[in-house]
Amino acid sequence: MERTSFDIVVVGGGAAGLRAAIAAAESDPELTIALVSKVYPMRSHTVSAEGGTAAVLRDYDSFELHALDTIKGSDFLADQDAVEFFVARCPEEIIRLEHWGCPWSRDEDGRVSQRAFGGMSVKRTVYAADKVGFHILHTLFQTSMKYDRIHRFDEYFVTSLIVDGGACTGVVAMNLRGGTMVAIQGKATILATGGCGRVYEFTTNGFIKTGDGMALAYRAGVPLKDMEMVQFHPTCLPGTGILITEAARGEGGYLVNKEGERYMQRYLPGKMELGPRDILSRAMVQEMKAGRAFEGPYGLYLGLDLRHLGAKKINERIPMVRELVEKYMGLDPIHELIPVRPGQHYIMGGVSTNGKGETTLPGLYAVGETACVSINGANRLGSNSLSECLVFGAACGIAAAAFAKKKASYPRGAAAREALKKEEARVFDGLLGRERAKETVAGLRVEMQQLMERDVGIFREESALVDACGMLGKMRDRFAAVGLADKDRVFNTELTAVLELDFMLDVALAIAHSARNRRESRGAHSRTDFPQRDDANYLKHTLAFRTDGPPRIDYVPVTVTKWEPVERKY
Amino acid sequence: MTGREYAWKRRPGWWLRNRRYLMFQLREAGGVVCALYGLVLLNMLVQLRAGESAYAAFLNLLRTPPVLYLNIVLFALVVWHALTWFMLIGKAQPIQFTRQPLPWKVVFGINVLLWLGVSGAVVYLIFGGI
Amino acid sequence: MAASDVVFRVKRYRPESGGRPTFQEYTIPYRSDMVVLDGLNYIKDHIDPTLTFRWSCRMGICGSCGADVNGQPRLTCGTYVRDVHRGAVTVEPLSNFPILKDLVVDFDDFLRKLASVTPYIVRKDWGDLRKEYVQYPEDVEAYRQQSLCINCMLCYAACPVFGSSPEFVGPAASALALRYNRDTRDEGADARLARLNTKAGVWECTFVGECSVVCPKDVDPAAAIQTLKFLATMRHMRRLLMPGSSSR
Repeated sequence: MERTSFDIVVVGGGAAGLRAAIAAAESDPELTIALVSKVYPMRSHTVSAEGGTAAVLRDYDSFELHALDTIKGSDFLADQDAVEFFVARCPEEIIRLEHWGCPWSRDEDGRVSQRAFGGMSVKRTVYAADKVGFHILHTLFQTSMKYDRIHRFDEYFVTSLIVDGGACTGVVAMNLRGGTMVAIQGKATILATGGCGRVYEFTTNGFIKTGDGMALAYRAGVPLKDMEMVQFHPTCLPGTGILITEAARGEGGYLVNKEGERYMQRYLPGKMELGPRDILSRAMVQEMKAGRAFEGPYGLYLGLDLRHLGAKKINERIPMVRELVEKYMGLDPIHELIPVRPGQHYIMGGVSTNGKGETTLPGLYAVGETACVSINGANRLGSNSLSECLVFGAACGIAAAAFAKKKASYPRGAAAREALKKEEARVFDGLLGRERAKETVAGLRVEMQQLMERDVGIFREESALVDACGMLGKMRDRFAAVGLADKDRVFNTELTAVLELDFMLDVALAIAHSARNRRESRGAHSRTDFPQRDDANYLKHTLAFRTDGPPRIDYVPVTVTKWEPVERKY
Repeated sequence: MTGREYAWKRRPGWWLRNRRYLMFQLREAGGVVCALYGLVLLNMLVQLRAGESAYAAFLNLLRTPPVLYLNIVLFALVVWHALTWFMLIGKAQPIQFTRQPLPWKVVFGINVLLWLGVSGAVVYLIFGGI
Repeated sequence: MAASDVVFRVKRYRPESGGRPTFQEYTIPYRSDMVVLDGLNYIKDHIDPTLTFRWSCRMGICGSCGADVNGQPRLTCGTYVRDVHRGAVTVEPLSNFPILKDLVVDFDDFLRKLASVTPYIVRKDWGDLRKEYVQYPEDVEAYRQQSLCINCMLCYAACPVFGSSPEFVGPAASALALRYNRDTRDEGADARLARLNTKAGVWECTFVGECSVVCPKDVDPAAAIQTLKFLATMRHMRRLLMPGSSSR
């Protein structure tokens, strides 16, 4: 009989989830930890991160500077106490990973190399060629195999949280392989399921990034914070949306329009291609609107020029960029321009947590892209996200471990059994029983994605946002008519797609409503009708609470410690 | 309601699906054949010990057309076995003087040259005479 | 069927109905830049939602989407239909693995084998956690190639030895073992070689070499296994002839 009661349940097997599980395992040899993931951990989307991970490692750098860069990059929406905590712990996480075998790229003297990155004043991005996410994930996954007390539940899809007596006591999950539901109980539960990029049509995100953890917490009454802050990465390949790492610009690449001009000199002459992502993405859209972009089979695009870097640098520092461009565009970046356009990439917003990953629901934690602490505020700097997963993954794992240790007994079995019965009825009898008719999961999903792309994208405006909120509300209702053709319980990916669409509609509503209510422009949130930043009214985080109708929006102030908000100039 | 996994079954003739699998099977079969030919050579020694007429009779047998054709086939297999072996040496035992080991094609080339050299010396010894 | 259509022949298997896997044909619109995965997604979204397959990153780094395409193990996200279009595109689950459903196979066996080769840094003394271990660029280069394995299982599908001897540790697990053996920071080479110096370890391998041919990341597991054979033998000889000597 498989064990189903643990001290800690981690949902999601990416960098944040694995780091939290390992931290918990190391903090106490008695703790039992469940790692529940809807895919095998090495398939988690951490694997596709390319550029690097930031930390203060050298004398030319300082915590003060890393914090300032991060806070300024966030357009002063980041909570400064959390940022101070964060930057101080990045170096030890990088070193710890290095000790665990991560193949960081090295300088000639054998020390870990660092490269330049967008929005960073100095070279502080540690890298592993241009496969940093792949190497971090595999290092963490393989290191996690050291601990017997991390029990893996691979290909278990979590459908709901178990809430008992005002606390979270575990999850209900569908075993894809067995076709059954199981209640996995935990004294503490950590959500580390990543972001929700798949609510947009054009995204760098993999298929699995559907905001599951965000929706699970949301449905349990936990607010989602700063959901309107969606990051669009400037350099994605047209058509597929595959990411071309910022490191290409960090190593000296140029962005050019169809006239061959390095157009960033008109938008951000101080930083050029190494400005923060929100500014670069907006600049691209403006170049497109001004008619200075190339035209291709997948629409307008700009050019990323690496030709002047030379074959040696490209093959050593950014080899995967070359592989991807050759494979998916049929072009060689050593000799030709790379077509690029902005695409959804990351969401700064997420489950509202404090600096230890705690949510408002006792026993429930969130970490990584799923969470919003917030250290990224209104715009995240590249290479801060992986560091965030490591620092807060560790902090959260330790906090959850301490919480679990304080609890003498395991959660009540009765609550778990009840939750399990409810989910079986909802999913197997309810959802699975619905017949496939006119409303299909793929059709509704594409409509939602296109709507988000059009109305809640890089540039937003009141009437479009109001329209989007209304349409999404209707889609939320239309979901009730979505039926399934696949009636099997074993490995039913049509059923998981329906469950994911269910989650995505909730998350999309939170994004649209949060965006509509923030009547200013800050960081990645750009309102054409309110183009200025408005600290007097909006130096605060948006909170979205789920209701049966549209989300209830509230606000909570930003924590300012040392850095008074000033105009964000580069 | 759980399902049954379907145990994978290997198709007979799997090695015909793919040129490389076929070359592999020929290489392995060639190895067996080389070993069997060793038995023929051993038999030659036995016949030599049995006396001149037995030895002469055996040599005559070896000179008949069917056996000669067989020898051609066997020689081809031996050469294929040797060539595939040389192709693998660079991978099996990398030789490294610089940051990267020598490419397998270079090792292959060196071995083929050495092989031709040694074979040439043997042929000279047998037919050229000391 | 329009001139710009393509036929996909996909192997189906329903675990709840049992029986044997059978082919099902679908005719879908063709685009010159479509990959096999695009075709599978089109079928699932518009024609037959019961078609089941794994995928995630669509850029060849997560390793989810392996399948036998026209008899060859390939990543469906990295295989252009124009390259494999021979009248029809045949898509089957990866060879040598038990089939769970349609194109989804069971590879838990690999994860057990991976765990068995101690795939993490082993050290007695971890030293100062505030300073990185010194590792020169040429040291990183020594194990870089083996570290690129995305666990996609194409090598296991290609290996006829694994097909007939399922206990064989296999190409990917061996390559990852070598990756750690060659990492200058690791001290666990001895234990790994002991585990691999067995019949079900590297000695099952007869150097067919197909694993390295199909590897989408150029890991060259075949070379890794032969290297491990050599290293395992050296270790064995050392232990036989010099039983007192310390091992690395």
